[in-house]
Amino acid sequence: MKTMKSRRSGGTSGGGIRKRGPTRTDRDGDMDMDRPGVRGGKRGRGDTGRSSASGRPQARERNLDLLQKAVSGGKDSQANIRQGKGSGGSNLEQFSVRNWKDSKAASNRDGGVESLTAFLERRLNASTKSGPRAKITKSRVEGDTLVVFVKPELAERMIRLNDNLFAGVHITIEPYDGTSALDRDLATSNGTSAATADTKSKMTAILGKRYYPDTKLLDLSKLVTDEGLQAMGIFNSTSTESKFFPALMKVWEMQFTSSTQRREAVESVSLADNQLANITVVTTLAQTVPDLKNLDLTNNNFKDPSSMSGWRWKFRNLEFLDLSGNPISAVPTFKDTMLKWYPKLRILNNVEVRTAEEIAAQKKTPIPVQAPYFHDESQIAENFIRAFFVSYDNNRAELIKGVYDNESTFSMNVNTQAPKAQQIETAGWDAYIKRSRNLLKISHLPARMSRIYTGAEKILELWNDLPQTRHPDMATQADDYLIECHQMPGLPDPTGQSPTGVGGLIIMVHGKFEESVGGKVETRSFDRTFIIGPGGGIGGIRVVSDILCLRAYGGNEAWSPESQAIPQAIHPAAAPPAAAAAAAAPAPVSTPPVAQLGLPAGYGSPAPGKTDTQVQQEQLVAHMSAKSGMTLQFSEMALSGNGWNPEAAWKNFEELKAQGTLPADAFLPTA
Amino acid sequence: MAVAKDDALTKVSTDAATELVNSFYPALEKNRDAIGSFYMTTPTSILFNGNPVADGAAVQEIFVNQMPAAHYEAQSFDCQIINRAYPTATAAGVKPPAEMTVKDMSILVIVSGYVRYGEGRDQPQRGFSETFVLVPNPSTERGHRRKGWLIQSQNFRLVV
Repeated sequence: MKTMKSRRSGGTSGGGIRKRGPTRTDRDGDMDMDRPGVRGGKRGRGDTGRSSASGRPQARERNLDLLQKAVSGGKDSQANIRQGKGSGGSNLEQFSVRNWKDSKAASNRDGGVESLTAFLERRLNASTKSGPRAKITKSRVEGDTLVVFVKPELAERMIRLNDNLFAGVHITIEPYDGTSALDRDLATSNGTSAATADTKSKMTAILGKRYYPDTKLLDLSKLVTDEGLQAMGIFNSTSTESKFFPALMKVWEMQFTSSTQRREAVESVSLADNQLANITVVTTLAQTVPDLKNLDLTNNNFKDPSSMSGWRWKFRNLEFLDLSGNPISAVPTFKDTMLKWYPKLRILNNVEVRTAEEIAAQKKTPIPVQAPYFHDESQIAENFIRAFFVSYDNNRAELIKGVYDNESTFSMNVNTQAPKAQQIETAGWDAYIKRSRNLLKISHLPARMSRIYTGAEKILELWNDLPQTRHPDMATQADDYLIECHQMPGLPDPTGQSPTGVGGLIIMVHGKFEESVGGKVETRSFDRTFIIGPGGGIGGIRVVSDILCLRAYGGNEAWSPESQAIPQAIHPAAAPPAAAAAAAAPAPVSTPPVAQLGLPAGYGSPAPGKTDTQVQQEQLVAHMSAKSGMTLQFSEMALSGNGWNPEAAWKNFEELKAQGTLPADAFLPTA
Repeated sequence: MAVAKDDALTKVSTDAATELVNSFYPALEKNRDAIGSFYMTTPTSILFNGNPVADGAAVQEIFVNQMPAAHYEAQSFDCQIINRAYPTATAAGVKPPAEMTVKDMSILVIVSGYVRYGEGRDQPQRGFSETFVLVPNPSTERGHRRKGWLIQSQNFRLVV
């Protein structure tokens, strides 16, 4: 945190995203009156977003949406078109005049605006000798563009002035499309035009100066005093000002090839000294760096929590927040509100408000999270599951042919509201929702009947309609799966011979998969339960039931065992079935219902004087003990007696246990 | 046994699943003394986060004595019939096919939702996934508190 503060760029004089350059007010005096839709009349700068509990944010959201569309969509921005046309109010036509900044007149005190206007008026009148004198009704400067307003009847004459020679340069005149050149550059910052590339490279340079990779700090403090940004004319108009930050974030994001890389690049952001009265302008920060840990908002103008409410559910990993030098810090409920908003917040305005223990306690669940319970039979479930997702990704028809028969059933449901691992936008469920059999929502019997698929043929027909998927490789990305399994009696006997039914296995899988949605790779989570029984398919099995639940990506942290990291060190939480099966414990009769591993402190962890081999062996022993219910001593005997081969040791243990030769004190006492 | 029509089967199974979701989670929240009554006497398997639990009485014991307040919200659930002629073990032995009705089935239920541990709405929402297998209640006793379906197996997992 210290680093973060000391890194902040120098100087204390105000200035902020919302503050304008000094020449600003004079120039756009008439502007404000002219575009009521875009900008309120005489409202002060700082107020623009604050008065906005209801109406304005929507408009703003819309603009942002459109901007985003423009940013991702390319040159022809709808946002610009809409904003330009029809917002004029009066019946004037608007034109943009460019290139004049390179003229000799640019060295005039007013930058040449007055002489340019006079020049244009002269030219407008040059072509006609009669009628009222043609006039530029209004004008304003936006960056390097002079926007002029003329009566509609002059529009044609105006456009003919394109390419006229003014004070040594050919000026460009075009119908004004609602944005300045800078706007367009911002909006199409991934476009290809030279100007766009220029804007992008300037922003990239600015970001480069403000990013400290060693501390993962992005210092966006005192933006208005940034010479690079001033040179770009960012703060010369409200429209560029409001689009600047999202564009800056866009440029930032474009530097990364993967979202993981982007998420990991920044831990700290400073937006100090920006005179922010609310988060309106900078709200996209939450999308760009959702995993932010440290946020410095000192010396702004946040008055109360409502000025930040857009970030109420963002930044779920925020640990450090500084709002010193803001009126909000004096609000009596300030601390409570921030604690409530940010569950991992530890330090607020440089005061510890939560201990590490309190944070850790939040993660604890009343029922400790244990390694998967995987009780297979002759590796049937293991072989099935190993093959399943590979086939589901690559050849669904083959999969259906292999293990589904005419009585197999499949259905799926989408939990569109599920908690997520990260505060990120998730793609819609269009491809699935028509098939979703969420019985909370699908209440009519005919719909309930039509959304369940019985028989190989119907299931395949549906699967062929579902998006292609890619599940992680089970061998190398075992952590991404949690797979549990046990026996299941009373299944239907396909031969019809056994009136008491036949035995099989129930397999519960939690995991993730990737899917391409509109050209973007989307990661989703799923829960899928299979019941498999004896049948005529490959390996003598058949799928009785296959039920799938889809939800937004929820990560894999939830199933990493919390009691001890040790079993994980050998076999990751979601042990691949091979490992799980090899280590599959017998019915854990001796395990108390809610059990914790009792290990001596430091056991299985590296320590001075301990060799790596020792650490490894301790881990194996701990794992063996956890699985077998034996004491550490007996677990160690079992392993050392079998050349530290866990599989051999396990086999040995099972044999001895079956023979009943293990003494009672070989086992841990049951609680 | 007459062959049951698809609509009757769907109705019985989805009603059973709905009843489970609508009564079991509220019981975990506010009626923990009744938890044991949801289970058959000798369930196949009960798992909570990988911890095996012996039976319904043990589940109830854990919830009554060890669990803090908890709020469960089922957000999505679905079910399938596993066996349309489930061999219900009654006191008189397994029901012969002739006595079976449309209700002699076993049902697979999958639930997706969240749980908030502790008091207050500000606790984090933990996503869970839970799988149940329901079988007909073999008991012949009558009364409005008698459950039509009992849990034969259950697997609860926090997944977010």
